[in-house]
Amino acid sequence: MSVDLDVRQITVRFGGIVAVNDATVFAKGGTITGLIGPNGAGKTTFFNACTGRNRPQAGTVKLGDLQLEGRRSSHRAHHGLGRTFQRMELFDSLSVVENVRTGVAAFLSSSRPLGQMYSSRKESAVINQRSADALERCGIATLGNKTVGDLSTGQRRLVELARAIATPFKFLLLDEPSSGLDVSETNAFGKVLTDHVEQTGIGILIVEHDMVLVSEICQRIYVLDFGKIIYEGTTREALGSDTVKAAYLGEASVA
Amino acid sequence: MSEFLTFLPSGISAGSIYTLIALGLVLTYKTSGVFNFSHGALAATSAYMFYEFWVKQGWSWPMAFLASVLIVGVGGGLIMERLAALLSSAPTVMVVVATVGVLVFLQSLMTAIYGPANIFMQPYLSREPLFNLGVFGVTREDLTIVLFSLGSAVALYFFFERTRLGKATTAVVDDPNLLSLQKTNPSAVRRLSWVVGSCFAAISGVFLAPTLGVSVNTLILLVIAAYGAAAVGRFESLPLTVAGAMGIGIMVSYLPSQVTKLSSSVLVQNLPGNTPFMVLFVVFLVVPARYLTERGVRNARRLTPIRTYSPNVTRIGFAALLVVLAFIPMLTPETDISQYASTLGYFIVFASLGMLVWMSGQISLCQMSFAAIGAATAGHMLQHHVPFLVALLISGLVAIPAGALVSIPAIRLAGIYVAIATFGFAIVMQQIGYLTPIMFGQDQRIEVPRPHILGMDATTGRGYYYLCLFVAVLAAVVVLIVRGSRLGSLLRAMSDSPVALDAHGANTNVMRIVVFCIASFMAGVGGVMIAGVPGNASGALTGPFNITVSLVMVAVLGFAGRRPISSPLIAAVLFQLVKIYPPFNTEWFIKYQGVLFGLAAVTVAIWPALEMKSRLARLGRFGSDRDAGGPVIGRMAEHPVVPVRVRAAAVKEQPVLAGAGAGADR
Repeated sequence: MSVDLDVRQITVRFGGIVAVNDATVFAKGGTITGLIGPNGAGKTTFFNACTGRNRPQAGTVKLGDLQLEGRRSSHRAHHGLGRTFQRMELFDSLSVVENVRTGVAAFLSSSRPLGQMYSSRKESAVINQRSADALERCGIATLGNKTVGDLSTGQRRLVELARAIATPFKFLLLDEPSSGLDVSETNAFGKVLTDHVEQTGIGILIVEHDMVLVSEICQRIYVLDFGKIIYEGTTREALGSDTVKAAYLGEASVA
Repeated sequence: MSEFLTFLPSGISAGSIYTLIALGLVLTYKTSGVFNFSHGALAATSAYMFYEFWVKQGWSWPMAFLASVLIVGVGGGLIMERLAALLSSAPTVMVVVATVGVLVFLQSLMTAIYGPANIFMQPYLSREPLFNLGVFGVTREDLTIVLFSLGSAVALYFFFERTRLGKATTAVVDDPNLLSLQKTNPSAVRRLSWVVGSCFAAISGVFLAPTLGVSVNTLILLVIAAYGAAAVGRFESLPLTVAGAMGIGIMVSYLPSQVTKLSSSVLVQNLPGNTPFMVLFVVFLVVPARYLTERGVRNARRLTPIRTYSPNVTRIGFAALLVVLAFIPMLTPETDISQYASTLGYFIVFASLGMLVWMSGQISLCQMSFAAIGAATAGHMLQHHVPFLVALLISGLVAIPAGALVSIPAIRLAGIYVAIATFGFAIVMQQIGYLTPIMFGQDQRIEVPRPHILGMDATTGRGYYYLCLFVAVLAAVVVLIVRGSRLGSLLRAMSDSPVALDAHGANTNVMRIVVFCIASFMAGVGGVMIAGVPGNASGALTGPFNITVSLVMVAVLGFAGRRPISSPLIAAVLFQLVKIYPPFNTEWFIKYQGVLFGLAAVTVAIWPALEMKSRLARLGRFGSDRDAGGPVIGRMAEHPVVPVRVRAAAVKEQPVLAGAGAGADR
């Protein structure tokens, strides 16, 4: 079952600086929505506001029928709002497979004290199955026993993605997930995302600078500039918009 | 009320000293992100310098004062600034290891040179009252301290609030690169802060010397008062820090007169002296976590993962180790066996510390306090003829509530504040807890006799060694089980990236408490085994459960590695065993052991930032990087696509468009 992410009128201030200004984004479940904009536009701050990493001064965050504002970030994740990070947050001392399994285990155990110490055989089987599937889909099953801290940036990005899609989130926020990937990895990456959305019905909101990838996978795009949403529309409309070109894309066109 | 007013001037005088120490602490933390656990040791070193110049060398006191402040304040400040710069991108754990290393280094050096006893000296400022304030005669000494401290506080406040350089000083932690673009040199700003902060520590040490005597242990403990004041100021606000210091100073002066009316017990009498710790703990419990964020952690790099071995290699390694340990009594003279048994006892405590520090990323500076609780509990139970194994188990269990108590700040706060809380707990345990009848009592000692157990005579050296080995193996098994369990994976994940764990929905509160409870249980058991070696446990400053021992253990574990079993064993051997073998059994080594431990801990903490490998490669042209890759120009020639990649990477930060440069890479 797909759920929508409905973020309304979010404002985040740091002292006198308004990082996100009255931003409203509606990302439909079962689709991939893009959030683009120049560096410093407030994209990561917007994600942080959605996931509870910072405290917005105003606005609401709704996942499906559930209001999330005011809840801790772990609660929001437990209710299905997952994310990846611009600066990768991996469990560096664990192996690739342990990273993915631990992500799923963290989600399933949540705040159950016993769940954090012990997993039933059935739960372990679920975790192992989901992890194996995700590693396979991301094309990194062969790296399973390697320590994550020893991997290249591109491989680490894929581990982070595998961990995110292995975990049964209802909606994913991906923050510049393709940076560090080469061309073939980026192509494969796009396919993993579209397949995952098709198969599970989850929604994805993606921050990305790679406009080719964005044009290939996103149905709708929101453009953020100086903390304000300056444009929203279908991908084709957005990439052809003069406003978006002036603020972000420049004169070159996306093939 | 009139009684309170009587104590007000002395409270302000004490508060002024706390102000000076706390300001130095806050100043350096605010500007470098490095919380200086050696701040008290700097104060103590300055006091020893003053004693050396004034009393032993016969200099005039102003010259001795100036020389001490120059050497420790300016010289020490410059050294500390370099250290802080090298630690600027180190994980919190390594920052604590480094500053505790400096503390251990200075403390051991001063003790080695001047001995452990408190050195008393005459006051150098007149104590004749200049004028009376009520019944309180204000002396030149009081007036100097108060005016200097408050004057410094006011000057600092205006510096930070009113000057461009002051504002830049605070910004240096958050973004040194951005600051350097504003024509302000971050290094110069940071250097100035460290010199001023260290001068405050040095001056407070010299101010305190005539009152408290010159004692490294006393002065280090006194710094906890400054921690309390700094906590009131949320380790950031100078006016609140001054208010906190004054409040604590007044309470410490006034409350003893009130508790005397309540009880004559030494325990109760000691309570007011620990007001700062209580203030510290209350602040950690009630101040919203968002006001106690760690500074500088945003730039921290991760620890390099340790190399892992295959399960077979690990199994063979453990089996071989166990065989060696089992044969030791047959290869070792009876006189040395106790030292080996003691080493195994310390191994248990080191393993518990390793579980906290390396497995879960939480820092404990009170591990020997848990051990003391275990040892004291066992002593009481064995006096009542409880069977040894039952007493051992209960001793570990009794230590658990202490672990749970200490973990409360760990639930709310992170990193450095947990270390500060555990340091405070260790001090209050030593000053109050150890004196209670349920621990060591007024005698500071309790018998912990070796047992006869399951038909084995553990009262002999060999018998007790095997008992220690048995318990140590059990402890190792516990560590390995925890590490291999879901809890272990979650703890290691929490250590690597609490943010990612949080983003996957895990509530880390429970696991933080659980790991503290397991570690305190193990430390409690380890304490019993350590106490069984001499047959008694002592809570005295010279005993094994002294706060200093906890600090030295952190330093030793810091350079012994991050493996769950072998590193604690290496740490225990270095800490307890090597001193009975040449060349380490010399008087010099035993005297300067702590100095070497401290130096080693600092070196390990700053090693990654020293980049010795690449320095050697550049200097000697024999580094492995150069051999592997050849000269930079040559490497570029081997990869003609490099310029294209660089351009593509630069574009990637901005939109990557087909036909706009990225096309070459795609």
